[in-house]
Amino acid sequence: MTPYQTIIYEKQGPVARVTLNRPDVLNAYNVAMRDEMYEALEAIRDDPEVRGVVLCGAGDRAFCAGADLTEFGTAPSQAIARQVRWERDVWGLFTSLDIPLVAAVHGYVLGSGLEIALLCDIRVAAEDAVFGLPETSLGMLPAAGGTQTLPRVFGPGPALDLLLTGRRINAREAYNLGLVAKVVPRYHLMAEAQAVVEGILASGSDVLRSAKRALQRGMDMTLAQGLELEARMALDIFRARRGPIPAWRGAVET
Amino acid sequence: MTESSHIFKTILLSRAGPKARIALNRPRAGNRVNPSMTEELAQAAEFINQDDSTRVVTLTGQGQSFSSGWERIRFDSAEELARHRAAGAIARIQKPVVAAINGDAIGQGLELALAADIRIAVATAHFGMPQVRFGVLPWDGGTQRLPRLVGRAHALALLLTGAVIDASEALRIGLVHQVVEPQQLEAATDSAVEQIASTAPVAERYAKETVMKGMDMTLEQGLHLEADLNILLHTTGDRAEGIRSFRERRPPKFSGQ
Repeated sequence: MTPYQTIIYEKQGPVARVTLNRPDVLNAYNVAMRDEMYEALEAIRDDPEVRGVVLCGAGDRAFCAGADLTEFGTAPSQAIARQVRWERDVWGLFTSLDIPLVAAVHGYVLGSGLEIALLCDIRVAAEDAVFGLPETSLGMLPAAGGTQTLPRVFGPGPALDLLLTGRRINAREAYNLGLVAKVVPRYHLMAEAQAVVEGILASGSDVLRSAKRALQRGMDMTLAQGLELEARMALDIFRARRGPIPAWRGAVET
Repeated sequence: MTESSHIFKTILLSRAGPKARIALNRPRAGNRVNPSMTEELAQAAEFINQDDSTRVVTLTGQGQSFSSGWERIRFDSAEELARHRAAGAIARIQKPVVAAINGDAIGQGLELALAADIRIAVATAHFGMPQVRFGVLPWDGGTQRLPRLVGRAHALALLLTGAVIDASEALRIGLVHQVVEPQQLEAATDSAVEQIASTAPVAERYAKETVMKGMDMTLEQGLHLEADLNILLHTTGDRAEGIRSFRERRPPKFSGQ
C-alpha cells in the first residue's frame, strides 16, 4: 500500500505503522524522507480509522542516526530553506496529532532520530539502543524541536547535559532518565510497541484525545489555567456519557 | 497531646503543637472521595490556614488505603463537578503538606496526594490514574499536576495506559520522594515534619510560594520573585535570629515574626 521510497506506511486495523526505510544509511533523515513523512502524517491525521501510530526504523543498526549531512548546504538559499520549513512543518504536524504515538527505537537514535522519538508520546527501546544529540559538537543546534521537547520530557538538568556534552547514553540510562518507558530485547521490540499501543486503544478515542490535549496544552499554561482546561474537558467527557462511573475496585495489575 | 478541633465525618483533623494531621476517614470505603469529604477537606484547609499555631500538615488515610479514588460518580454541570474536586483544598493550604501515603493512592486518591508538597509512601502502596479506562478524564488536577511533577513522558504513560505502578516505580519516576516499610511510615513522616517545624515560618511559606508560583513563570520572572521575597524577609525578626544563632553556635528560636 506504500508508494513511498524512504518510508513504509502500513495500516494494521486501527494502528498505523510508519517505518523509516533507508537502512543502508542508518535511516538518515533527508529531504525526501521529510516530504514523505509529511504526507504520511497528513494521511494519518485525515484517516478516521487510524487511532494509534507506531513509528520504527528498518534494518538492524538504527532507528535513525540523524539528519543526512550529505544534503546539508544544498538548499538554494536560506530564505528558501526557511520557506520550505514553514510549508512542510513536519514537526508541527507531529505535535498536532491527537492520537497516541509510540516510537519503537533500536540501535542508533541520534540527532533528528532522537528528536523524532521525542515527538512521540511513549518510547519503547530495544536493549541495543544508543541515544545522543551530536548537533552542538558539530557546530549546529537540534532543529526538530529537541531543545524544547527534551527539557519538557525529563527536566532541564539532563536535557542540558545531553545537549551541551553531546554524550551518548544507552537504553538503561535512557530508561532511568525517563526518556524511554520500556527496554525490551531487540527481537521483542515491535511486539512490545504494538502491545503498548493496543493496550492504550482499549480506552475510548475521545477520552484519549482529551487526555493528550489536556496534558500537552496544560503544560504551556499556568497551573490555574491548566486546571480550568481540565475541568472543562472532564465535564465534556462526562456529559457525553450515559450513567455514573463505577468506583475503581482494587484488582491491582502491575 | 492531641487536641481535636473540629468534628468531621469523613476526615479526622487533629493538632499537636505546630503539627496538624488530616486523615481521610472512610476506611471501609477505601477512603474514596465523596462530596462530603470534598467539603470537609475545604473546611479543614481553611481552618489550618487561619490557625497561626499550625506550621506543618500531614495528610494520610485511615486503614489500609490512602485513597482508592472516587465513589460511583456522575456530574453534568460545572457546579456538580466542583463538588467532586477535592485536591484544590489541599493545594490551597499555605503551609507545607506532607502526604504520608499509607496504602494505595489511585485515581482521585493520587490526585489528592499530588496536591501535597512532599510524598512519603509505604513500600506496599500502588499508584495509578485509571480514569481513561473508565472512559473519563481525571477531574481533580491529575492531567496538570502529574506532568509538572514527573515530566510529560511519565505522565502521558500513566494517563494514557491507566497502568497501576508499585512504590519502587513511583520512587523511580519521582512521583514519591521516599519509600519506607509500613511500620516505618510514622517515623519517616515525623522526621520530615519535625524538620519543617523547626524552620522559620515566614521563610518556609515564601519558599513554597516561590516554587509554586515560579513554576508558572518564565525563569527571569521567577528569579525576580525570589529576589523580592528575599528582600521582604530582611524585615523579619526570624531572619535576624537565624543569623544570630549561627554566630552564637546555638539552635535558633523562631517566633514567626
